[in-house]
Amino acid sequence: MEDDVSNPFRRMSMRTRKIAPKMAAALASNDNRTQAAIARLEALENDYTGMETVEAVDDDEASLDDDDDVEENVLRYIEGVEVFCVCVICLCLPLSFYLLVPVIYSNASSVLARQASVYIQKKQKGTKRKTRQAKALENARKAPRNFLELLHEANLEALPPHIPSYLRAAVGPPSSTCRRHFCTVCGFTSNYTCAKCGMRFCSIRCQKIHDDTRCQKFVA
Amino acid sequence: MSSVVVLDNGGGLIKAGYGGERDPSTIIPNCLYRPLSSKKFLHPTPTTEEDLTSAAVRRPIDRGYLINPDLQRDIWNHLFSNLLHINPSNSSLLLTEPLFSLPSIERATDELVFEDFGFNSLFISDPPKLVHLYEASRRPYGLVSKAQCSLVVDCGFSFTHAAPVFQNFTLNYGVKRIDLGGKALTNFLKELVSYRSVSVMDESFIMDDVKEKLCFVSLDVARDLKIARRRGNDNFFRCTYVLPDGVTHTKGFVKDPDEAKKYLTVDDGAYLETRKDMDRTEIMDRKKVDLTKNEFDLTNERFLVPEMIFHPADLGMNQAGLAECIVRAVNSCHPLLHPLLYQSIILTGGSTLFPRFAERLEMELRPLVPDDYQVKITTQEDPILGVWRGGSLLASSPDFEAMCVTKAEYEELGSARCRRRFFH
Repeated sequence: MEDDVSNPFRRMSMRTRKIAPKMAAALASNDNRTQAAIARLEALENDYTGMETVEAVDDDEASLDDDDDVEENVLRYIEGVEVFCVCVICLCLPLSFYLLVPVIYSNASSVLARQASVYIQKKQKGTKRKTRQAKALENARKAPRNFLELLHEANLEALPPHIPSYLRAAVGPPSSTCRRHFCTVCGFTSNYTCAKCGMRFCSIRCQKIHDDTRCQKFVA
Repeated sequence: MSSVVVLDNGGGLIKAGYGGERDPSTIIPNCLYRPLSSKKFLHPTPTTEEDLTSAAVRRPIDRGYLINPDLQRDIWNHLFSNLLHINPSNSSLLLTEPLFSLPSIERATDELVFEDFGFNSLFISDPPKLVHLYEASRRPYGLVSKAQCSLVVDCGFSFTHAAPVFQNFTLNYGVKRIDLGGKALTNFLKELVSYRSVSVMDESFIMDDVKEKLCFVSLDVARDLKIARRRGNDNFFRCTYVLPDGVTHTKGFVKDPDEAKKYLTVDDGAYLETRKDMDRTEIMDRKKVDLTKNEFDLTNERFLVPEMIFHPADLGMNQAGLAECIVRAVNSCHPLLHPLLYQSIILTGGSTLFPRFAERLEMELRPLVPDDYQVKITTQEDPILGVWRGGSLLASSPDFEAMCVTKAEYEELGSARCRRRFFH
């Protein structure tokens, strides 16, 4: 892959390959091992916040008033009426050539129409509240989401070197660079490194498990 | 007479109570959670009996610092009105804030305290100072109070600090930080267990429990790794944790508590005896764990997880371990303080609760410290509450009111200038 980058005139196979976009992005970077390692460390500070989409829906719900409940009830009511109407119509269909049914039908449909108009009105009111601008403003207000962004915003690098700051309080690299390696599969001391992805394993058995389950799957 | 509310606003737990008391009246997790049974995020209660399986979590604090004031307001609101039953407008607040907070975060905190809640007055303190204060008052004739100097090692939820304290002031130029705390350790454990046995990536609360109950600090990693590799009964570290099934029990538990305590026998030399008849007991299969029963075994994970505090490099972090962190913190202070600091190391914070944490730290620290200095590590009897108790003590001191910033001052001067009073 890196050969491709270094030598653009190399003849390439014309076969089109299907690669997932995330995978493509990861492969495009030169140093994806370090990136994967950094991403893994970052992940250690994450919380499990549930499904993101669900959360967004929840937020919206929380921000709206009680009107929503009314809306929902209306909606449910309309559905009920509709079902009822359909039933009535079905039952009465054989008689529908005669006088009786059109009356019921017209009644029911007028009720339906009225309810529906109420519903549409409500719905419009509901959508009006969430304009794009309002949403953008809301997002902008919530914008600095994690600490690293705030840190970047604070621009601590600009401080003169004698002032202690968050950045200077970090303990810094260890004095000895020797790092113990533990097998990523079983946890014991590992003597071997995967040639493809750089993760560690301790035995052939662990290597097989590693190849099957984890090797180069760090982007997914 | 207004009351003083002492609030240790940690990333993991909020410790809150009234100044002058010995223990905080409320300890709640500083988060909102959404159990599977609920659609909305709920406030945690001190005596929660809910099923926290796969509960989603939202925390106002990221990497130790307040990043979501809205969420924090929500939690504090619940705390003040439902749990502490106080009226902010006629009480003062003593709040802890981590070292090296950013100006924007300080401003947000001040806004929260004065504008949203309308507290009468506010005092902000950093945690090491309070821990020092508490330890100094506990032993009035001890070294800490006589020399008025100590090295507070606070290994908490979000990060680990080694902070020299002198004359009740944290020497901020000497503070060193490792970006590794209880949260990262829990997540690391999650990752290991999820890869090796059952996927528990969603189970923050359960894995917290697993970590607290089963993890310990190894005194000799190489030896313990060998023991953890054995099979059957000779493996003193294997221990089974049963996940909640949601029907009969909603909390996970350790299957055999005796088994979990077995690691303590390793240092008594018992492991040498059983080594001989290792072959006989090798009948048990490794795959004994029944995945349908929702349980998993832990062996070397039990000590490799806390190990990361001592060697973050093993995790791939480019940071020194705790012992070296302490040495660097001490070295950045005046040379006359060095012997005093090494003799008065105070361990605090929830992550120091791992068994044998102090022994291991001493073992690692001793070779790094000059021979003629003594190393003495003091553990607190309740490391989680150490900061709060110091705060309570400070709040009950007679000149506390004079140290506070009042609401009127805040309104007149603004956040940044009020903050200068707290010297950090």
